[in-house]
Amino acid sequence: MKVLVVTSGVPFIRGGAEILADNLCQALSAAGHAAELIFIPFKHYPPSRIPDHMLACRLLDLTETCGVRIDRVVGLKFPAYLIPHPNKVIWLLHQHRTAYELWDHPMAGDLIHHPDGPVIREAIRQADRELIPEAKAVYTLSENVSDRLRRFCGIAGEPLYNPPAHASLFHNNSAGDYFFFPSRVTGVKRQLLVIEALARCQEKTLVRFAGEADSPRELAACVDAIRQLKVEDRVEWLGWISDEQKRELYANCLGVVFPPVDEDYGYITLEAMLSSKPVITCSDSGGPLEFVVDRETGLVAEPSPESLAQAMNALWAGRRGAAAMGEAGRARYADLKICWENVVEKLLC
Amino acid sequence: MPKNHGLRILIATVRVPFVNGGAEIHAAGLCQALREAGHQAEIIAIPFKWYPPERILDQMLACRLLDLSETVGVAVDRLIGLKFPAYLIPHPRKVIWLLHQHRQAYDLWQHPLNDLHRYPNGDDVRAAIHRADRELIPQAVHVFANSRNVAGRLERFCGVQAAPLYHPPRDAALFHTRPGEDFLYFPSRINPLKRQDLVLEALAQTRLPVKVYFSGSAEEAAVERRCLELARKSGCADRVQWLGPVSEEKKRDLYARSLGVLFPPIDEDYGYIALEAMLARKPVITCTDSGGPLEFVIQRQTGIVADPTPEALAAAMDNLWEDRERARQWGEAGRQRYDDLHIDWSHVVEKLLA
Repeated sequence: MKVLVVTSGVPFIRGGAEILADNLCQALSAAGHAAELIFIPFKHYPPSRIPDHMLACRLLDLTETCGVRIDRVVGLKFPAYLIPHPNKVIWLLHQHRTAYELWDHPMAGDLIHHPDGPVIREAIRQADRELIPEAKAVYTLSENVSDRLRRFCGIAGEPLYNPPAHASLFHNNSAGDYFFFPSRVTGVKRQLLVIEALARCQEKTLVRFAGEADSPRELAACVDAIRQLKVEDRVEWLGWISDEQKRELYANCLGVVFPPVDEDYGYITLEAMLSSKPVITCSDSGGPLEFVVDRETGLVAEPSPESLAQAMNALWAGRRGAAAMGEAGRARYADLKICWENVVEKLLC
Repeated sequence: MPKNHGLRILIATVRVPFVNGGAEIHAAGLCQALREAGHQAEIIAIPFKWYPPERILDQMLACRLLDLSETVGVAVDRLIGLKFPAYLIPHPRKVIWLLHQHRQAYDLWQHPLNDLHRYPNGDDVRAAIHRADRELIPQAVHVFANSRNVAGRLERFCGVQAAPLYHPPRDAALFHTRPGEDFLYFPSRINPLKRQDLVLEALAQTRLPVKVYFSGSAEEAAVERRCLELARKSGCADRVQWLGPVSEEKKRDLYARSLGVLFPPIDEDYGYIALEAMLARKPVITCTDSGGPLEFVIQRQTGIVADPTPEALAAAMDNLWEDRERARQWGEAGRQRYDDLHIDWSHVVEKLLA
């Protein structure tokens, strides 16, 4: 089949969605299809630019190329998934979140602060409600994303899980004396919450943070908190690390801490499970909750420093239990049949 | 991610899904050159479908609606527009390096292979394209063209001036030369616009036993069949080698061993083949109506510019065939001319970012 994967994004920024799009194209090619990526640049501010880009997407024509039919379009991100096609399948990574669940979020909300914000929000919601159902089938990144789509737009979408990049290379080595928290350093990942929890943990607890900061401001906030709470000796700040280093840090940790705010999906949970490690997450963390079974494959804490510290202390003190939870997580990953072959089959059927 | 202190540059072009041609190689070459010069560069390729004609207008509008002025609050320092309609995307610091306009609305309007004029709305769409180009191309801070030929069309049809800016063929450094053997080489897609048929007709009229090696893939099997039949009918099949698609390495080897290169297309925009021949120190035979190659080939100094007739082309082929030493000298002079023209990516980057 000739398949076009269509997505939107911000030039010069490469994140999880861009990696997923590339991986999907590779998986389609590996399954014997001709697959190419169409990337439509998107700028979401000022808010009036959003309808412009929605309209631009509606004006594109991907039905054929040089007289030859394009068999399938797979739409991933807003507004690219609005591009019309008679054989479109949407695999919704996320909608335009600040028009939905992040509308009045204290950190993320942006539309809400503009005079034309409410009008633009309504335009986005109307387009999604009317145009997403044009697709032959609607899949989503996760149960969390399906929930939002159902709640806000009344549209059903089936979760379709995909594996992290290089899934087969993750492994388990030993349970060392540290927790691992790999993630971009930014407000919604809540490195600060973990730092506050560390101040309440038993003395020797160590967390290794890896990942680049989105901005110098975010980094400074963490550094200040570490100093003020006097937890310098409980924190190792690694910054950017290679994929190989990351896998080693997974393989040798006691457990993984991943307490983000309402994550869409969360490769980190899956990477921890592939490394046979228990995961500590929070009751409002979204995606990770689809994978972490409380007290079986990890611990689900309340999003408070006290509750998180309690969970960390529990794993630190009960190392044998931690290892067993890690093994159970690995088994759960296998049960979920998270593989590209399955994704390709669903998207093309 | 390495820290980067260069400019943040976007290259705007269009692409037809599942088709990879010279324009894609050109954009990739530019992107790589910008990165090597220490800049951050990315290609934005908007999908393009030109039929039915009203779709052209839709996609022009889509391009006008995109906003590439900044990303997450950080300015995009330069937008380099290459192909229609992507070069219409607005940007305060846009430079256009025109590969070509929508030729069916311009120089190919009357061409038998063009169908735009056959649609009831063909005239209106053409007028809209002309108007957009005339009004919006001059919004760019600078306008360059792929060649003098492309600049000439822009001036003739739109009254907009552009400076030609040449760039090297892919892997220019890998071309090399060897003593000329007993064949002329014609590497090109097998296509009526490239005129393999004209060369075959000429071959039937040479005085001397000139041999020609053709390489390149055929877009339509019928065109290839017609060429092979032509060779057979005119009785020169034994002096023709039809190699089909060859690897880049094989192509460079054929250039290196050839006596000279044949490249007589109709009004080519640019013509990598003339440049590749010059890099391989070979004389070029082209035609007076071939467009781009005429910017590089100097009559009887680096090759021969013949009239587009079998007779004239046959005479040019005999001419190279009978005086090998002169052919070699013209080839050397062609290489000298290539070097004098400063056709390299660092020069392109400097001009585009000036």
